[in-house]
Amino acid sequence: MGNGDHSTTSQTKDRTHSDRQPGRLATVAFIWLLVTVLAEITVAAIEWQPFAASREATISDDAFNLLMVLATPVFTFVIVVGGYALLRDRHRGDDADGPPIRTSRAFIATWLVVTTVLSVVVIITPGFTGLDELRAEPEADLVIDVRAERWSWAYRYADSGVETQGNLMLPINRRVLFRISSTDVIHSFWIPAFRIKKDAVPGQITTTMVTPRKLGSFDNQEEMRVQCAELCGVGHARMFTGVTVVEQDEFDAWLAAAGG
Amino acid sequence: MTIVRGVVAGAVGYVLGAALIMAIRAASGAAAWEVESVTAGAWLFALTGWLLGVGVWRYWARPWFGRPADTYTTTGWRRYFDFDTDHKVIGVQYLITFLTMFFMAGLFAMLMRYELMGVGEDILNSDQYNSIMSLHGTMMVFVAVAATVGAFGNYVLPIMIGADDMAYPKLNALSFWLVPPVLVALTASFLLGGYDTGWTGYAPLSVKNDVGGLFFNLAFFSLGLSSIVGALNIIVTVITMRARGMTWFRLPIFVWSIFVTAILSLIFTQFVGLAMLLVILDRTAGTVFFDPASGGQPLLYQNVFWFYSHPAVYIMILPAFGITLEMVSHFSRKPLFAYRWAVGGLLGIMGMSSVVWAHHMFTSGMAEALRKPFLASTELISIPTGFIFLSALGTLWLGRIRYTVPMLFALGVLFNFLIGGLTGVFLADVPVDIQLQDTYFVVAHFHYVILGGGIFALFGAIYYWFPKMTGRMMNNRLGKVHFWWMMVGFNATFLPMFILGLQGMNRRIADYTPGLESANRAVSMGGFFLGTSFVIFLANFIWSWVKGPPAPDNPWGARTLEWQIPSPPPHENFEIPPIVLADPYGYGEPGSVHADLGGNGRSESLEEGVQA
Ligand SMILES: [Cu+2]
Ligand SMILES: [Cu+2]
Repeated sequence: MGNGDHSTTSQTKDRTHSDRQPGRLATVAFIWLLVTVLAEITVAAIEWQPFAASREATISDDAFNLLMVLATPVFTFVIVVGGYALLRDRHRGDDADGPPIRTSRAFIATWLVVTTVLSVVVIITPGFTGLDELRAEPEADLVIDVRAERWSWAYRYADSGVETQGNLMLPINRRVLFRISSTDVIHSFWIPAFRIKKDAVPGQITTTMVTPRKLGSFDNQEEMRVQCAELCGVGHARMFTGVTVVEQDEFDAWLAAAGG
Repeated sequence: MTIVRGVVAGAVGYVLGAALIMAIRAASGAAAWEVESVTAGAWLFALTGWLLGVGVWRYWARPWFGRPADTYTTTGWRRYFDFDTDHKVIGVQYLITFLTMFFMAGLFAMLMRYELMGVGEDILNSDQYNSIMSLHGTMMVFVAVAATVGAFGNYVLPIMIGADDMAYPKLNALSFWLVPPVLVALTASFLLGGYDTGWTGYAPLSVKNDVGGLFFNLAFFSLGLSSIVGALNIIVTVITMRARGMTWFRLPIFVWSIFVTAILSLIFTQFVGLAMLLVILDRTAGTVFFDPASGGQPLLYQNVFWFYSHPAVYIMILPAFGITLEMVSHFSRKPLFAYRWAVGGLLGIMGMSSVVWAHHMFTSGMAEALRKPFLASTELISIPTGFIFLSALGTLWLGRIRYTVPMLFALGVLFNFLIGGLTGVFLADVPVDIQLQDTYFVVAHFHYVILGGGIFALFGAIYYWFPKMTGRMMNNRLGKVHFWWMMVGFNATFLPMFILGLQGMNRRIADYTPGLESANRAVSMGGFFLGTSFVIFLANFIWSWVKGPPAPDNPWGARTLEWQIPSPPPHENFEIPPIVLADPYGYGEPGSVHADLGGNGRSESLEEGVQA
């Protein structure tokens, strides 16, 4: 097998194969369409994200879902085309080589155009559009200084000067600006239900904004927590506290009771 | 014997270095002994002593001082434990060393998965977990960076281009013998209590942790030296040692992938060396690169580190692409489709890999204005990466596909990397990444790339080139069992990890909130299943090496040069230098011959081809 000259066999095979090409292409295209439709329906039916409780969560989840919609046909294309060849073009006992197809202008050109267009689309949306949306509302109603320290979180409500540790209280539908700092190593301020995350870097104030859109607390939803997301040493895993979102009047009452 | 000399000379080096550092410290009024400062300085002397003792002095450096070099007389299995300059010996040395490291790191992974089966701390406390996790990551990264390039870049590449050895055989031996000190440093780190920073070693945590952290820095630094030296050698070899007629576009795609990898390695490894050095200096010499209280900047570390470590992802995956395309062509019995586009893809990835590093830092507090350019560059790198799939699919199409064990692994790489690549598109999207950064989604993603791509290709390459390297065949049925077992185990482990990440499990934790328990249990079960698959491999590997049936010269009927010479190849590879006539992918092309091996005459099929 192999290096020898199989000119006669491979040429005849070659001819039959190129005769079969259009039919094969149509079959594969049909299977691909079918599989893609089924896959898209499945993807749409699955709840990918956990509890979402903020304006930012909607932006992030929408971006994720759009990328799923775009990635699915790419995934199915490779699986269907590759899978079809793997099943139909398996070696069947003779020593013949396959047809010496080294290139195909049409296939390569289509591939180039499609992958380039897809990449650019993904950059623009959900990429740039999502980022612009995240930055669209820069005015804060409430400013909270967050201080990370191995291995706890401390909060200071800037307007009232109230300082707390442990559970983080927030009013619903208010724009909140977090000013994050660290006193020792790098931590990361992450609230899974809000889809916001920003590192706490010693010597630097980092910021992130969020608008809570749902009431809730850690007792009901595990995602309602401030979780350290950057490895910071032995207490890293347990460096989390609950987040509670309440109505504005309830928040005001809580703040007053806390000394504000 | 060689190793004993190296150890003794290394110890002498350490003592001399330590004495010097202690003298300097005493003279400047500090306490003479401080373990980290002394060790960091003495390491360089120990490393030099080790290299001199292990063979550099006897076989290489003596002529620099007007003395004759010792003649190298070692034969048989002892060559594998000596300063041997044969690229085939060095390839085997690399393979066995890094396979050992791979299985060690795999055992650590099993420990981690056992701990993570349930809520709470079961067998490891947080401190132990962090150490095991850090060592697992570090060792696996070392394996992924060096195993394929070191083993097959050394063993196969020179033969594939028709050379009798690498361009600098002594430098080649040097680059391998820099690896044992890496193992020593990692072991020292483990015995001294480990380190808790993960393989990324972010400052300032890495400046503040215990002495184990220093040995992590020294290990990475030493491996970097080895990589740079090895990369230089590969680049020069490919440029200058190609046989007559082996033009750039007749190179096997595997050679291209290793060549491009070596360029990345040569350019970028120095940056991780620098990152390690800055941390070492902060730890031991009182510098303040990362101490904000004195004007230092913690994010500097991340920028320098990722400036290497993103290209390093391609150092890990490009050889896998090369191996995969190589097998897809040989086992589809078809020319590699769109060969030049595949080469262009490799070069395109190389060109773009230096402008995407900050996608690891979207949530780090870096300037907001940088998010868009790095989002864009990262999404765009999927275009050249796509060329690899273009080439693979076009080659499979209408092929005469032979489902050999190496081919199965190549197909596994394509499937796994497809998932790894597509999830990378999600992580490059900043609004999505803000949520998923530092979660198990990232862990799943890079395991799909590095384990599902890089390591699957490594095992495919082992099955493929084992007959050439050992002169014996591996058991085919066990190979297939291993493949399917590993493939199912791999996907059963890492697909649910994406879900874990989406559900909000952050990485590098020994304990988690109760809602994540069931998915974690599933991941652990998959992990143990994956882990046991390697028992099959090891049994097959060891048994076949000792007792496997003799391998023919060309068991796969492949066209590249290494299969046209005996298994295992003679010392000088070719009797006379081959003359290359066409690229090695002329399957189905009447009268196509890759190379004329002249009087070698061992490959009957080639002779037939030449006569026809
Ligand atoms: Cu932390
Ligand atoms: Cu990267």
